[in-house]
Amino acid sequence: MGRTRQALMLCLAAMLASGCASEVKRAPAELAAAQPEQGRRYVTTLAVEARPESGYPRSIRAGTEFVVVGRVAQGLVLKPTQTVLTIEGAHMHEAYAVHRDGQLVGFYLPVERAYAALPLPASMPLQEKNAP
Amino acid sequence: MTKNITRRLAIVAIAALLAACASGPKHSEIQSSIPAMKAGEGRLYVYRESSMMGAAIQPSVLVNGKVAGQSKPGGFFFVDLPPGSVEVSTSTEVEKKLSLTLDAGQTRYVRTVIGFGLLVGRVYPELVDNAAGAKAVAETSYIGAPLAKP
Repeated sequence: MGRTRQALMLCLAAMLASGCASEVKRAPAELAAAQPEQGRRYVTTLAVEARPESGYPRSIRAGTEFVVVGRVAQGLVLKPTQTVLTIEGAHMHEAYAVHRDGQLVGFYLPVERAYAALPLPASMPLQEKNAP
Repeated sequence: MTKNITRRLAIVAIAALLAACASGPKHSEIQSSIPAMKAGEGRLYVYRESSMMGAAIQPSVLVNGKVAGQSKPGGFFFVDLPPGSVEVSTSTEVEKKLSLTLDAGQTRYVRTVIGFGLLVGRVYPELVDNAAGAKAVAETSYIGAPLAKP
């Protein structure tokens, strides 16, 4: 029992020392032009609360503006224009929102050229912004 | 006697904390000396807000694997880079990395923050939006390489 406890403590210490958080799970994704949406601007009409698998929640305020920068297999890729979006695991990554059917389904990581899915898509209603 | 020792220790502790904070010129004082960005490059500002928490922890900040400056409370520096992918990293008991993109002519801001660690605090690089970054940098002191006078 004493040894088991000691082993558990060592494992816990090792986990803490290694930084606790797991790496953001992602898969390679190819960003393609999104015709005819490319370059269109959208604004979130409600706040969005996303809970990535890595355990660090992310929120997007209502009124956040995005521009369509392309498409991946999972949906439209929206880059924030005035703010920044990141996702975090063991490390932090700049991220763009991936949107499909009125929902935030995951994140596109532009540096890693990869897609990180949300375990549960979050509602993300958008309104197209016509005026500059 | 004990009171005297406590007082002396407190003075030493305060002096050590003050020495740990950035002491360079304020952003407003060197703003005119900051060179314009070269065509085809982007600029990355790295800063740390002034705080006594973890003030003695001041790791180097690496940008794309090269030491670019130091994470020091109340300090900032900047680095000009070709456009593309950028990795900012810091190491204390663990290494923490941030990946971001930088376009030509673009300015971006990275804040380094102190977090709890197992043995010592950890320093995390975080990407912040330009409005918040510019405001914070304006309140910090320059700790980068010496700048040429205008």
